[in-house]
Amino acid sequence: MTTLVVAEHEAGALRPATLNVITAAKAIGNDITVLVAGQGAADVATAAGNIDGVSKVLHANDAAYAQEIAENLASLVLSVADGHTHILFAATAAGKNVMPRVAAVLDVSGISDITSVVSADTFIRPIYAGNAMATVKSEDATKVVSVRTTAFDPAAETGGSAAVETVAGAGASDLVEFIGEELSQSDRPELTSADIVVSGGRGMQNGENFAMLDEIAEKLNAAVGASRAAVDSGFVPNEYQVGQTGKVVAPNLYIAVGISGAIQHLAGMKDSKVIVAINKDEEAPIFQVADYGLVADLFDALPELSKALDG
Amino acid sequence: MKILVGVKRVLDYNVKARVNADKTGIELANVKMSMNPFDEIAVEEALRIKEAGNAEEVIAISIGSAQSQETIRTALAMGADRGILIETDELLEPLAIAKLLKHVVEKESPGLVLLGKQAIDGDNNQTGQMLSAMTGMAQATFASKVELDGDTAKVTREVDAGLESIKVKMPAVLTTDLRLNEPRYAKLPNIMKAKKKPLETIAVADTGVDVSSKLSVVEVNEPEQRKAGVIVSSVAELVEKLRNEAKVI
Amino acid sequence: MSYNAPVRDIAFMLNHVVGLADVAKLEGFEEATEELATAVLEESARFTSEVLGPLNSVGDAEGATWDEDGVKTAPGWVDAYAQFVESGWGALSFPVAYGGQGLPMCLSSAVQEMWHSSNMSFGLCPLLTQGAVDALAHHASDEMKDRFLPKMVEGVWSGTMNLTEPQAGTDLAAIRTKAEPKDDHYLITGQKIYITYGDHDMTENIIHLVLAKLPDAPEGVKGISLFVVPKFMVNDDGSLGEKNDVRCVSIEHKLGIHASPTCVMSYGDNGGAVGYLVGKPHHGLMYMFTMMNQARHAVGVQGYGIAERAYQQALAYANDRKQGPTLLSGNDSEGIINHPDVRRMLMTMRSSIEAMRGLALDCAAAFDIAAKHPDAAVREAAQRRGELLTPLVKGWSTELGVELCSLGVQIHGGMGFIEETGAAQHLRDARITPIYEGTTAIQANDLIGRKSARDGGQGLNELMDDMKSVLEELKASNEVNLKAVAARLAPAIDAAEQANEWLLGQNDPTQPSATSVEFLMMHGRLAGGWIMARTALAAVAEKQKADADDAYLDAKTLLARYYAERMLPLVESGKTIIMDSAESTISLDIAQL
Repeated sequence: MTTLVVAEHEAGALRPATLNVITAAKAIGNDITVLVAGQGAADVATAAGNIDGVSKVLHANDAAYAQEIAENLASLVLSVADGHTHILFAATAAGKNVMPRVAAVLDVSGISDITSVVSADTFIRPIYAGNAMATVKSEDATKVVSVRTTAFDPAAETGGSAAVETVAGAGASDLVEFIGEELSQSDRPELTSADIVVSGGRGMQNGENFAMLDEIAEKLNAAVGASRAAVDSGFVPNEYQVGQTGKVVAPNLYIAVGISGAIQHLAGMKDSKVIVAINKDEEAPIFQVADYGLVADLFDALPELSKALDG
Repeated sequence: MKILVGVKRVLDYNVKARVNADKTGIELANVKMSMNPFDEIAVEEALRIKEAGNAEEVIAISIGSAQSQETIRTALAMGADRGILIETDELLEPLAIAKLLKHVVEKESPGLVLLGKQAIDGDNNQTGQMLSAMTGMAQATFASKVELDGDTAKVTREVDAGLESIKVKMPAVLTTDLRLNEPRYAKLPNIMKAKKKPLETIAVADTGVDVSSKLSVVEVNEPEQRKAGVIVSSVAELVEKLRNEAKVI
Repeated sequence: MSYNAPVRDIAFMLNHVVGLADVAKLEGFEEATEELATAVLEESARFTSEVLGPLNSVGDAEGATWDEDGVKTAPGWVDAYAQFVESGWGALSFPVAYGGQGLPMCLSSAVQEMWHSSNMSFGLCPLLTQGAVDALAHHASDEMKDRFLPKMVEGVWSGTMNLTEPQAGTDLAAIRTKAEPKDDHYLITGQKIYITYGDHDMTENIIHLVLAKLPDAPEGVKGISLFVVPKFMVNDDGSLGEKNDVRCVSIEHKLGIHASPTCVMSYGDNGGAVGYLVGKPHHGLMYMFTMMNQARHAVGVQGYGIAERAYQQALAYANDRKQGPTLLSGNDSEGIINHPDVRRMLMTMRSSIEAMRGLALDCAAAFDIAAKHPDAAVREAAQRRGELLTPLVKGWSTELGVELCSLGVQIHGGMGFIEETGAAQHLRDARITPIYEGTTAIQANDLIGRKSARDGGQGLNELMDDMKSVLEELKASNEVNLKAVAARLAPAIDAAEQANEWLLGQNDPTQPSATSVEFLMMHGRLAGGWIMARTALAAVAEKQKADADDAYLDAKTLLARYYAERMLPLVESGKTIIMDSAESTISLDIAQL
């Protein structure tokens, strides 16, 4: 009985999301095998072996995995799938892209975005943008699952000493060609893995004013996010978006500035440990989920907050 | 080229979902139902591709109850040419949906299948990827831009850290993200014409596809509610509480 | 506060009370099935709530603006109108021959409610175009129709109605605008006021319909002719030529509908605006009257349309606003909706809106039958019914609409009086509706004169008979709410018949005139009760079906009961007022007023 965890990595390091998935795998209870696919990612495979609770690492080194091409990754996962009762992915853009292909070929139902492991065959997952939680039970021979990373703590990066076993590549699809990427540049932590997130809404009025959030984020080592309203208004690019149609985050501290708190935004951040809302409209729904609310004009409050953080 | 577009009838996105009394699902009796917003975007994209001269026919397909005909009519009113309803009163999982779509793909041989990246009811985000894996058609998910060039499509995809571009050979399965386009309003003359466009209904049993599932819903619950917190009177008090009470900064 | 079109209530009224299916049986209306109506209503709901609704407060705050070059509409309006045209909404009920969809008036009225609920100032532009199209479709030559109608039907050109002059409002005999024959056309000179959308930047051309006098015109209303005056000349190939000698010289500053430009139009400042005679000379006023029923009906739809918007806003506020312990919840953390008096106001709004909507749609369906029924006698009776109900739809629905918008403000308490809340705008916008297209007094005169006395009460009696047969249906039921409705409907019908008899027995119009508005309001309330009784009967019948939504249908029945118990007693007091107060109304010496 083993669980296969499909690792994600970039720039020579595991993505934090994989650590959350390993915690979910531990909750299932089987031995854990981590699959690291990449080109020249031997260091990542070694690092995966050090993670607490990992008993084996499979490493495929092939140009087919230089990018996250769904067809290629799915073929590889399927080539090593035998003997695993569970195959786990992170519910990231990359994980969501591959998981259903694996499930389809195995002829099993995929189980998306689980937030809790009830038992080895029973999981809880949000439906209707988190307005309901479904408990689902799978009787498929292989459970193919994606894991909502914010719902599980990260596993410790040390404590394990799993052997790394090399596996052969499973070929490359000739239907898909990677062209390029435009990633947003930032020195600060990535939105979904940051300990602190500072988000702005329509109340920010324009993109320039987001500099005020940047300043505070700098001081807190936080990521900057935004509501859909702010993204739709063109203040910031889409990858800032937190919510049902954007990213789901659950940091230790979420500071919502000038965000009214539409259901679709709350769906993306309500699992944060501590929520702070700053809004001049005391009726704004965001205050109903905030641990600390400050009714104030953000253009007064933000400079003051920035100053207070220096002290 | 034909384009096959999936349209799912779901609880309207403006209606708050409520768990039903016996905790088996969401209350769907007598509430407003609409086309899944991601599917509207898929229909719009298909129409734009056709209007640009790159496709001859747009076929809207839905899998669901007889009322899903309304959803197909909406797609026809937007401009799709004909509709197919695979009728079932069961709530099917993405695996079964993908198998039924594969059945139709084999019959219709579309050059593109356009699907929403997910439906806002189950939030599964699986069907397009499954269909691609089952049919061997190329996969391009979470599309925010689609450019056709001969028998390839260049697709800009929304990934967690920004945008990624890939080129896929057609036939391909594309799933749509929110910023791909803004769906049109149906024109009144087209709403009237939609009634006369062909809409074929097929019973699931007649497809010969095995739609059984080994995944069952045990129960459905309301999410835990957060308790309302406190209102602080100043920035200084806020910072003090975050440092000393919540200990998060 | 956003607008959410009540598609289900509108569809229920159309399908189960008014009987769209019967209209769809008529040759020419076969398209108008329940299925099509649902699709049309739903798409209209989407368009009006997403595109027109959000522009309503912008329009109020920014308004239309004027400078030497003409009128500019509020920010966002030009784009919204382009989308409106693109989607084909303007062409809903127009003849297929000129590019319209030829749908029945009852369905187009149902759609138009949403225009006015979402954005009444915007809705006025296509409303006026519709009036102009109707007038031309009925009376213009084929050459003129071909030249102007297709673009107007499509909506890329708008239309206006130019009647009023500073000295000639209700009394159109006093107009001074002149038309001098020149070659194949006329030169128009004069000034017109209160011209809705007389100039604006949403369409490439504006087609003015202008009342003017020919040099040989007889005195009085029999000397008025109707002319078409385009803003830009239209060439034979349909392209636009040079600007005509007509311009907007100013716009009015108004209590409401700020975004709808109300223009002072000047014709012939530079020698005369080119105009073309519609139909025969001196028949202008008669031509105007043929479309008057439709235009008045449309304003009645505005009356409850704007009240619906006010209701939605008040309902949301009453749910959210918490003010101390409430009697209906026993809990002080519940909204003011749990105060019985707030409930009274909301019930009054909700039930009255349904009654007005039903009456307007029923009236429209009568005109549909009058237009298409194969049997001449049925057509004639339906025309009589439509014409009888029109002053009720216009007069009663607009007067009541204003009252309901005022209740909407009241529910908000102090917040309602603050402009930012948005409730006040609806009241200000609604206030014009009992005034334009004929004041309530004009409607009342039309009702007691043209629509009652002239046919010896035939139309009224037919209506009373229909009400009595509904009463018999109610009486035959054991359902407790239906019995309660019957208990109030019976004495109301009796009272109205006494008032009718009194009216028809008067030889001198002076006394009936003094209480004619009360007569109109009484018949409006009663007709509303008749509609609500039919709604309740339909709801009880629908409940017998499998999968019926009991909660929804029970609500319909209870709303009918509330209406019967709250509004129908006013029919009885109305009778007393009509018959007893006429003399004292007009007896006081003017010097003592």
